[in-house]
Order: sequence, then C-alpha cells, then structure tokens
Amino acid sequence: MPESVLRLLPAAVAAALSRLPRDVLGGLEEIRIREGRPLEIVTAQGSRFVSASGGLLADPDGAYRPTRDDCARLLDRISNHSLYALEEELRRGYITVRGGHRIGLAGRAVLERGAVRHLRDVTCFNVRIAREVPGAAAPVLPYLIDPDSGAVRHALIVSPPGCGKTTLLRDLACQISRGPATARRRWPGRRVGIVDERSELAACAGGVPGFDVGPRTDVLDACPKAEGMMMMIRSMSPEVLVVDEIGRPEDAAGLREAMLSGVRVLASAHGEGYADVAGKPVLGELVREKRFDRYVVLGRRAGGRQRIAVLDETGRPVAETEAGGSGGPKRPGTGVPPDAFAGRPGRRPEAGLPC
Amino acid sequence: MLKLAGALLLVAAGALLGWMHAGRLAERPAQIRRLVRLLSQLETDIAYGLTPLPEAFGRIGRQATEPLASLFRTAAVRLERDGMAAPEAWRAALDSVWELTAMKNAEKEIMLSLGNTLGATDRDDQVRHLRLAVKQLESLEPEAAEEQRRYEKMWKSLGLLGGALVAVILY
Repeated sequence: MPESVLRLLPAAVAAALSRLPRDVLGGLEEIRIREGRPLEIVTAQGSRFVSASGGLLADPDGAYRPTRDDCARLLDRISNHSLYALEEELRRGYITVRGGHRIGLAGRAVLERGAVRHLRDVTCFNVRIAREVPGAAAPVLPYLIDPDSGAVRHALIVSPPGCGKTTLLRDLACQISRGPATARRRWPGRRVGIVDERSELAACAGGVPGFDVGPRTDVLDACPKAEGMMMMIRSMSPEVLVVDEIGRPEDAAGLREAMLSGVRVLASAHGEGYADVAGKPVLGELVREKRFDRYVVLGRRAGGRQRIAVLDETGRPVAETEAGGSGGPKRPGTGVPPDAFAGRPGRRPEAGLPC
Repeated sequence: MLKLAGALLLVAAGALLGWMHAGRLAERPAQIRRLVRLLSQLETDIAYGLTPLPEAFGRIGRQATEPLASLFRTAAVRLERDGMAAPEAWRAALDSVWELTAMKNAEKEIMLSLGNTLGATDRDDQVRHLRLAVKQLESLEPEAAEEQRRYEKMWKSLGLLGGALVAVILY
C-alpha cells in the first residue's frame, strides 16, 4: 500500500491493514471505512473484511469496526485539517488527495434550495488507491491510431466503475505524448492536453503532475471539463485532448465542440458496453452520430483476468484482448493489431513495454 | 560599603520585579488587540483564500510578532509534522505558548473553544466561530485596560518600595 495512503489512515485502521499479507497489500484497490461497521478491503480477488489484528475474513462478524473518532481523524487528515476549503469537493462527494487517490464520501447531505450544498456527518469513506501501470495502454494503443495518416482516433473508453478506465487513460496519454517505446522514431508522439477535473489522471500537487503523463503533456488541473476543454484548445493547442468520466450533459456538449475544433479526443465514460453509452442523453447523441472512431470496452475483472474489447464507430468488434491480473502485463488475444505507427506491415508494437 | 551596594541591589531588584509585573499588565491589552488582528487575518485566509489550515497558520506565524507568532508556528508544526488533528494541535500549541504571553486564563478559554471547531466545519461556520472569538476577546480588552490603568503604577511603586523596605530592614 502506498505511503501516501497509509499516512492518511487513523492509527487503528492503519495498524490492522499493515498486518495484512504483503501480496494482499500490493493488490489493494479500495479500502472502505464505515463508522461502526466492518472494515472492508477490495482487491482484484474481490471484497474481504479485515480484523483488528490484520486477519482476512470472508465474514463481517469478526472484523474491526472503525469508531467515530477514527472517522473524524480520517476526515481531518484527508481534508488537510481544512474542511472549509473543500466545499466543492463535498458537494460532489469525493476528495482527491496527494498521490491521486480518490476518496469517496457519503454522509448526510445539506441542501440549499433543493441542490446539494455540502455533506455533513461523513461516515462512509471509500479510499480508491490510484496506481500507475506503465504499459497498460500498450495492447490498446495500436487500434487508436489511424494507420494511413498516423492520426490519433477519437476514442471512448467504456467500463463499469473500478475497472481501470482512469489507469488506461493515463497510460494512453503518456504513450501518445512520448511515442510508443517500439516505434518512437516513426511516431514521435503528440502534444497532449489533459483536463483533469478530479485530479485523478495526473494527480497534480501544486500544479505539478504526480504521475508520469508524458513529456508533451499539459495538465489543466481541477477545472470543469466542459470549460476546460475549450480553455485548453485556446491556450495550449493540443493535438490530443484527454478527459476522464464524461457524465454530465455539458461535458458531452463540450466534447462535441472539442471534436469539431480539429482536436483528437480520448475520453472515458461509465457503462457496461456500447449499448449503455449509446443510450445516454447527450453522450448517446455523439455515439449515434458516429463521432467516436473507436470504443474500448473494459470488462469486469474475474479471477484476475480482464477482457478488453475494441469496437469500431458502429459498435462492431475490431479486436479483443485479455489482460491478466490488475495491472499485470497484457497480452493480445484474438485479432492482430494493425501496425499503426508506420507502413511496415506485419510488425506490431510489443505489448507491455513501459512507456 | 559592601552593605550599601547590597542594599542598592535589593532596591533595584524590587523595582525590577515591580516593573516586570506592571509590564505584563500593560502587555495584556496590547496582546489581546494583536490576537484579534491575527484572528481576523485567519478569517480572511479561511473565508476568501480557502487556504488550508497548516499553511494559514504558518503564514500568520511568520508575519506576527512573538510570543503570538510561536502559537501559530507551533500549531502549524503540530499539524504538518506530527499529524495531529486540528483541535489537538491547537490545544497543544496553546498549552506550550500561553505561559509566554501576558494574557490570562479567560483569553485561553476562548481560544480553546475556538480550537474545537477550527477547520472541521464549512466556511460560513468557521467565520461565525472566528468572529465570536474576536468579539469575546474584544470584550475582555476594556477590562484588561482598566486593570492596567489601576494597577500598573501601583506595581511599579510597590516593587521599588518593597525593595527599599527589605533593604532598610536588613541594613
């Protein structure tokens, strides 16, 4: 478990977690802390409860139950002792902390004229541990490059929450910015602009990215996506624009505007597959108009494996690959990726190389 | 001759003690006023700057004069280095620094109760609590000034005369 997470946790929880077996700690994806209820962790293998002495339990009965004081301390630390500075975050229901970890919050909503103003009595925390997985994008990237022009295609990454959208998007941004390791001379990389509304993609601290997002990448941190995309286009002239989690109608409207500005767009959205995103109110319009050239659909992880499907603009499968484990090397499955980076047929970039 | 020198020393010591005590009395209203100013500065940092507490404390600690500067500096260190929660850090800083100030327990109580909410609520609530503390401190200031007016001179003469008395008795 990263040090940046450990120092946020209240002592009792940190003590219980640090006694977990090393391989469990290494694969930790989420820590769920709920006041007075069993301490839960989520790994690639699924959900388990944790006892005060660091034992893994399938049954919630013997698990450690975080106290009110634990929760108060956790909130104090993740807010940097300054809850007042996080009004926007509390309204949205999550805080991104140093290291890019996102902490989801639930409690009692305080309303003002019918709209959520902020949260009080926060008693449920979901610590989502951010990991950099260099090479995560390698099996997918060749499908996102037009082999004739070498241009990046408009692409939408689709998956349910917690399946690696952000990790994939971050590595895509990095590899596109740097040029893939195997074809750097033929395809030297593009100027990338990241609009990082939730500070998850780049994990900026004081404006400087905490993750490697590539040498030709500019990051607009904590900016609303719709506005940020146009700001980025006007100010930094990116060739590829990367945005995470298109959810609200105005995000999709901003996306459309960006696509019509001659910029290539890589975005992600929640959904089980093509049908889900096609059914969304505004994003669906873009899908039905075939604005996206490729869809990358990440399946749920089962038994440490994950299915990744690449679809064309009409939702027909182009290729399917499988990745082993969370963040492990991905190996191409069915469908040979085209050599996107140059006109030399038959050679394709090797998968799994770090960016 | 030696006796005379000793007697003079006694008088000087008595006068010094009186002066010091009077000085504390004179310092108290001034420190209350300064503390009020620093709390207003903290309010601005919180309400408009949305500055995180450790940073705001650190900045105020650099700008203020001693001994109030060390109050904020200590609180910032407790928060950042020792990972204490805000109320704990504030209490620890008050406990270690209060001795050095000329202020009394009434002021400390106000600061302690301010610490219970510091950082832990939304912006409007922070402003409310800071203004309340400022108001309470301001209400103590006339009393402190009155005490100064009444007792400052008395302590000075009392010290000098007390020193002289001891000197005379021993002479």
